[in-house]
Amino acid sequence: MLKYLIRRLAATALVITLVSMSVFVIFAYLPMDPARLTCGKACTPSIIEANRHRLGLDVPVQVQYGRFVKGLVAGRHYGEGVASFDCPAPAFGYSFNKHACVSTLIADAFPVTFSLAIGSFILWLLIGVSLGVVAAKRQGKWQDKASTAFVLVGISLPTFISGILILLLALKFNLIDPIEMGRWVSPFTDPIGWARNFIFPWITLALAFAATYTRFTRSNVLETSSEDYIRTARAKGLSEKVILRKHTLRAALAPIITIAGLDFAGLLGGAIITENIFNLPGLGRLSIRAVLVDYDLPVILTTTLLAAVFVVVMNLVVDILYAYIDPRVRVA
Amino acid sequence: MSGSKMTQRHFRRRLVATTAAGALLAAGVLVGTASSANAATAVKGGTLYFITNAQQFDNVDPARVYTGRDIAFFNSYLYRNLVSYKPTAGAAGSSLVPDLATNTGVPSNSAKTWKFTLRPGVTWEDGSPVTCADVKYGVSRPFATDIITNGPQYLVDALAIPKNADGSSQYKGPYKKTGQALFDKAVTCKGTTVTFNLNRSFADFNYAMTYPAGAPVPASKDKGDKYDLRPYSNGPYKIATYKIGDEMHLVRNTKWSQKSDTVRTPYPDDIVVRFGMDENVRDQITLDDSIPNAVNLDGLQPANLRTFFADPKRASQRLNVFDPYTRYAAANVSAGHLDCLDVRKAIFFAWDTQALIDLAGGTVFYGTPGDNPIKTVLGLDYAPTTGNIHDPAYKIGGNPAKAKELLAAAKISCPATYARVTDPAQGFTYDTAKSATQQKASVLIQAAMDAAGIVVKFNFIPPGQYYSTIGDTTKQGDLSRAGWGADWANASTVIPPLFSYPSSNNYTQNSKDPAFPAFKAMSDAALAMTDRPKQAAQWKKLAQYAMDQYWILNPIFSKGQEEWGSKVGGVYFWEPQGTFGFGQLYVKG
Amino acid sequence: MAQVEQVEQAEQVEDDVATFSIVQRTPRQIAWMRFKRNKVGVVSACVAGFFFLAAYLAPVITRILGLSNTLTYSTTLNNFAMPIGASGGMSLTHPLGVEPGAGRDLLSLLLYGSRISFSVAVITSVASIGLGMLIGITTGYFRGKVDAIVGRFSDFLLSFPSTFMIIALALPLTQRVEALKIAKGNGARIVVLVVFFVFFGWPGFARLIRSQAFSMRERDFVMAAQALGASSWRIITRELLPNLWPTAIVFLSISLPGYLAAEAVFSFLGVGVQAPASTFGLVLSDAVTYWRDDPAYLIIPSVYLIIIVLSLNLLGDAIRDALDPKAVKA
Repeated sequence: MLKYLIRRLAATALVITLVSMSVFVIFAYLPMDPARLTCGKACTPSIIEANRHRLGLDVPVQVQYGRFVKGLVAGRHYGEGVASFDCPAPAFGYSFNKHACVSTLIADAFPVTFSLAIGSFILWLLIGVSLGVVAAKRQGKWQDKASTAFVLVGISLPTFISGILILLLALKFNLIDPIEMGRWVSPFTDPIGWARNFIFPWITLALAFAATYTRFTRSNVLETSSEDYIRTARAKGLSEKVILRKHTLRAALAPIITIAGLDFAGLLGGAIITENIFNLPGLGRLSIRAVLVDYDLPVILTTTLLAAVFVVVMNLVVDILYAYIDPRVRVA
Repeated sequence: MSGSKMTQRHFRRRLVATTAAGALLAAGVLVGTASSANAATAVKGGTLYFITNAQQFDNVDPARVYTGRDIAFFNSYLYRNLVSYKPTAGAAGSSLVPDLATNTGVPSNSAKTWKFTLRPGVTWEDGSPVTCADVKYGVSRPFATDIITNGPQYLVDALAIPKNADGSSQYKGPYKKTGQALFDKAVTCKGTTVTFNLNRSFADFNYAMTYPAGAPVPASKDKGDKYDLRPYSNGPYKIATYKIGDEMHLVRNTKWSQKSDTVRTPYPDDIVVRFGMDENVRDQITLDDSIPNAVNLDGLQPANLRTFFADPKRASQRLNVFDPYTRYAAANVSAGHLDCLDVRKAIFFAWDTQALIDLAGGTVFYGTPGDNPIKTVLGLDYAPTTGNIHDPAYKIGGNPAKAKELLAAAKISCPATYARVTDPAQGFTYDTAKSATQQKASVLIQAAMDAAGIVVKFNFIPPGQYYSTIGDTTKQGDLSRAGWGADWANASTVIPPLFSYPSSNNYTQNSKDPAFPAFKAMSDAALAMTDRPKQAAQWKKLAQYAMDQYWILNPIFSKGQEEWGSKVGGVYFWEPQGTFGFGQLYVKG
Repeated sequence: MAQVEQVEQAEQVEDDVATFSIVQRTPRQIAWMRFKRNKVGVVSACVAGFFFLAAYLAPVITRILGLSNTLTYSTTLNNFAMPIGASGGMSLTHPLGVEPGAGRDLLSLLLYGSRISFSVAVITSVASIGLGMLIGITTGYFRGKVDAIVGRFSDFLLSFPSTFMIIALALPLTQRVEALKIAKGNGARIVVLVVFFVFFGWPGFARLIRSQAFSMRERDFVMAAQALGASSWRIITRELLPNLWPTAIVFLSISLPGYLAAEAVFSFLGVGVQAPASTFGLVLSDAVTYWRDDPAYLIIPSVYLIIIVLSLNLLGDAIRDALDPKAVKA
């Protein structure tokens, strides 16, 4: 097990390095010139050159990558004289449009995205798994049909439509405090305000995911129900409740956890559509605004990298979790 | 008005009305203004909110702000200039009053030397006095053109410091200190008197000093790029917090004293700018008056304007006036682009101005077709031009038949350009900042061009990089949307920057036009004139010239709207800045 | 009357024959029979087919109706560019009303918009399935080094945040495509979108095919073919491919609505197709600003898109049920 863990860890580190390198190279060869874009209106070639130096883009891409990695560990120093400043480690770069170290921007945005992800994650797992189990247990009955309808609606309703509709309805009926909408409120200082800010985004996201999970849970429960060991358990005279809890769910949930972990990781990088519609200042909105408003390269690079890291790391976590939950994996 | 308001934020310059033109404005335009400053009922205290969709102020650093709104905002609350516009409604608002200085500047040496004497008792937010050295340091910062971007360049252009071959100053600003001695000669301090030595006669230099680029900055507090986040205050408020994308919170600057300030009357205790508001949410707040002490800093979206302005209950919460700007499409007349007069004219006559105006709020809210880069409010310098919209063939909804006629002419006069703009695979490229309204406008433009047999392609550019993209001669398309307002009441701040140099605000690339040299000579001569009426006559001729060359197409004399909550008092339109007189706003008890 | 009865009887007989001679039917016939029995599936197939045809025949339909997707019907708008009349200016000439602001016919916009969406979805699905099929079979059948390398590479691809990459790179890559003169404007944007979708889409399908090809290799019929000295090419085309088709069709039916919605999402976010063209995403993001004064403009396109996605999803379910008996059981 330990050997397996170490091997997986090493592989993960390698993938992260490779992904970061390729993202870095891709962005370095874009036809966008950040030195030109941050030059302002009264732009001259000499300012562009000065900018290029200031942004650290006047050196080959491998040197830039080296500085980037070094900055992650040791922080970075920008500018000279009075106009100089530092971005402490881990430094992802400096956004000249926002006059802030990218790490600060990320640190501000991440709690928002995390709150959004964790809340909707819990919501959709609760709804999805329970609906799925009920549908499987009442196969063919009205409960099953109702959940099928829910699944179809959920799957066919694109998030950007459901999000808009939920937002507009909530606004119409004054369920959102407009001046506070989308502002970050810490759950530790004001848990109610926090929940109130996130409730509609949670519902929007959960709606989309719960449908998939209902369907998935239902078919998994049905499949495991017909397995031999469940029949054996039933023959042993165990009650249906015990069978469901101890055997069926356990086996049926293992693959769900895999997918849930990856979906959660995907959201940690930023739920772009939901954040955009509900105006939540999370990673998703940070990156889409960076793209659409001023093509703020250091920000775009960092959010893309982070999203990749979340996926890769969560893959690792899920694999390990999987080994704990599914007895078959543990034996193997 | 979101779309156009958003782009308005990118217009850099502002306008000052002359007294005469101001009267015109007051009579013709400000009729709709029910609410005006009424200091008698003003009350101190409370929190004043500003709500905006923007993530941040474009710039906060005094040397870098350049939009009328931001200048007015920060000038009213945070930092003081040597001179200021009078904070009052109507034409009087365009007159200069001393602010940090005890006078509005004393010219000598045929206006090549300007002296200002500092008022005693003005302090920074830590209580230390504002010194002549602070003014000198503040003025030196715009020379660091690699860090202090976006601001006006008047000081860099006009101070008596030698220039390099590429036109850049030999002084590189206070960070690099290259050429510091040259600067120390151009700007000198003697006690509390600061002297500016200029490289030319500059009769209205004191108007240029209303820009915060001439405001003092304490050298010890300067942090280069980072100063844009937390400028040091000598005004009635100071920044408590500024978090981009969230809010800016201003609190009273306890070291500021009313005695030292004849311009500002700060009423609210707290001023909060809430950024990044969803446009629909922002508009809902205004429409429902759900936060009565909030001012809509962006203006409503066109779809919501009509509802709000039709509601009699809101009569005292709105303003609809001509703003300082002329909006137009700048034709890139360099070779390989719209280098053919007949083609430019064809596009002009095909243009469906009516539909575009309707889209953006109708003549009631958006504006009227213009015939001039100079707006009517510059009374002395404006005269109706001939041709263009006064041409008998001009139709406000577009005249495709006339356009086709012109195209037929172009087929002979410039076959290559003709072939390009009528080839479905090529066409001409229209540059515009990406916004909801502009995307909608593209539909109308395409339909109008289709009708005339002209092919148009659109280049939507992220708003934050719009001007840096079209300002790049290699990246500019054929026709670029732009807007401009005079910096003060002289067309010297309109014609030369828009047409006479390949400067950062000239998007016509007209220096490659054969018609350019004659124009340039006339413009240079006009700039040097000291006889104001004679100069004005020249500006009128030059405007006519530019219009005849169709360097800019389809100008619109645009309007602007402001909306605020029912508990906001003291609102008036500050003409020279084209926005609120922020300093007199108060929260009703 | 008599004739009708006869027809019904004939159908009855055919049905009976079908049930009795089931053993003689090919898997394809069995699947088709199963599909026909699924009423929801048949209805949704009709609905999806209808919208698909409507999208492809958009130029014909609009011409028949005397409409255009680029003309601005300025007389349908008032001075503030809002549609005159109830429900977003619905009328006999403009059955779904007109677009506020510019005055184009909404039905034409949606027809042309769904044309773009369908094109992107179909091209992307077919291309990524084709690529996935090729790579999946190759790696599954030949295994060895190729398999290891391709497997690692697809794992690597899957660890990229595809949505982020598309958003971040769409704009610069569109400029690049334009600079290379491959396509211009929206053509270039569509090319970029499709290439991205395919680039990030094939690994998932390739994995599925690989595992199936992997297990099929050990099955008797492949062994038999190998024993008979059949070439690899023959085994792949004659033995493996026919057995992998059902998987491909199921995958196609699942991915179509997904890509269709994805195209809408990206244009909604502002990184896909742009005005003056119209797609679902563009129309909807525009409609949000007008929702107070013209809710019909928001609701009609939403419903239109939802019906398409829903019918495609239902159709996908029915196809899967028909092709995969195990799924039916579950």
